[in-house]
Amino acid sequence: MMNDYILKTNGLTKKFKNHHAVDKVDLSIRKGDIYGFIGQNGAGKSTMLRLVTGLSFPTEGSLEIFGTDARTGLNDAQKRMGAIIESPALFSEMTSRENLEVHRRQKGIPGRECIDETLRLVGLSGTGEKKAKNFSLGMKQRLGLAMALLSDPEFLILDEPTNGLDPIGIVEFRDLIRKLNREKGLTVLISSHILGELYQLATTYGIIHEGKLIEELSLKELDEKCRRHLKIEVDDVTKGATVLESVLGITDFEVMPDKTINLYQHLDDVRMVSRALTDNGLIIEHFARAGDSLESYFSKLVGGGRHD
Amino acid sequence: MTNLLKAEMFKLGKNRAFWMILAISAGLSTLMHYLIMVGWWMMDGTPFDAVGLGGMNALSMFLVPAFFNLMIGTLAAFFISTEFGAGGVIRNQILSGRHRSQIYVSKYIVYTLGSVLIGVLIPLSTGLIMLAVTGKLEILDGGNIMYFIRMHLLFILQYAGYTALITLLAVFTEDSGKTIIFSVLFTLLMFVIEKMPVFNIVEIIYDYSIFQQFNLVVAPRMSAVMMAEAVIVGVVTIVVVVVAGCVTFGRKEIK
Repeated sequence: MMNDYILKTNGLTKKFKNHHAVDKVDLSIRKGDIYGFIGQNGAGKSTMLRLVTGLSFPTEGSLEIFGTDARTGLNDAQKRMGAIIESPALFSEMTSRENLEVHRRQKGIPGRECIDETLRLVGLSGTGEKKAKNFSLGMKQRLGLAMALLSDPEFLILDEPTNGLDPIGIVEFRDLIRKLNREKGLTVLISSHILGELYQLATTYGIIHEGKLIEELSLKELDEKCRRHLKIEVDDVTKGATVLESVLGITDFEVMPDKTINLYQHLDDVRMVSRALTDNGLIIEHFARAGDSLESYFSKLVGGGRHD
Repeated sequence: MTNLLKAEMFKLGKNRAFWMILAISAGLSTLMHYLIMVGWWMMDGTPFDAVGLGGMNALSMFLVPAFFNLMIGTLAAFFISTEFGAGGVIRNQILSGRHRSQIYVSKYIVYTLGSVLIGVLIPLSTGLIMLAVTGKLEILDGGNIMYFIRMHLLFILQYAGYTALITLLAVFTEDSGKTIIFSVLFTLLMFVIEKMPVFNIVEIIYDYSIFQQFNLVVAPRMSAVMMAEAVIVGVVTIVVVVVAGCVTFGRKEIK
């Protein structure tokens, strides 16, 4: 259903002279998703987020936010969103409270209670009269997050949000996002090139490379792709599955849509598995180890080892 | 829009450059008024002399675009342009869900209020206070008070046209240094056009611009036609430049 989607882009393109920063991206984020947007530096992540938030305008294509075309409904959508793009945008001469007060007035949020609540939520209640220019990078990130959360948004967009956070800060950030997602149904689009961090948080992934969305997959699908296994291709997949089950007593395997078998047991007992298959009259057409870490999977997908 | 105006007012109140320029304006105008009133600095031939307000001659300085621009050009640089700079706080405003034209207009209104306070009301009020302190308030009478009101109302109208131009410049350059430099160059250019022989078309445009009106509205006497012209030039300038600003800002890619 269309209304299940918080964000949907159709052929979204952003061109700078002859360079496509974002190239015909079709991306979908469902309500309640924590969408991890993965890409190398310069892959087009921030440009994409700037298009979604209305800071920049697409050259071609369109986007729907909360089921409404952004060309007509962006302002209304923005009121239901919170975002940090590239870096937290703060008034350096103001305190955390004053920064939030400006934002509260801009958004027209009634009552000042939300300021204290949000500061408490991100762990910045004790900053007092300290000006933002004297904050550490981590504190600035927290204040940026507080500004994004101030209006109690339904959709949160975060661009590299853990930059500058210490390990404890990263864990706290992750817990906070999970909590908001679980308790308030907050939908989150979070970009990062730190894959380990995204892996622990996101429920859906989009991988962007050179401006193109090259893969979109759920956590389950990613786990399956990344899980170490033996990939087996035999001439009769049904018989192959029966052999694994009845002869070897294996239950942890899957028959994939491409008629291959992913075997998650006996990874160190390759000879035994292949012998059992051939002894039962099967012809093995392909037999290999597969599965990787998210980093390796991403590397393979984007061509490996290339960095901007 | 009210919320945006409240936010801009809050930002102006917290802006260090604003308070610094305000203090400079107050200090400078107090000093100039004092020096003129005690006769240390002689100044004559001003429009104020002609209406018997020679004691307020120091105000003449504050009516010159090249002078007041130094204050309000700097304010634009540190109140508007910096929002587009490294901190990028303009992003928060775009993300607030307000129409870009509303954001632009609220910036223009609050910047203009701040500029009027710094460049018009502070010099005027310090002048009146100095008159009172030096016991010269009697130079004010019904006639020159009416002149004062008429002149300042029409001047503020042209001034608001000028702040519209500087707001546009500040949004266009996105850089505080460039805003100051270009605004200074701009006022110098207007000064050159005023003093030097130029192409006919430029002269015609200048004659119907706020820059010519800055000279005309301080005249001791103005006919009804001249006043109507001043109002039309001021209002048309504000409307055209603010609309151009809204269009420019509306199409701007925010970094």
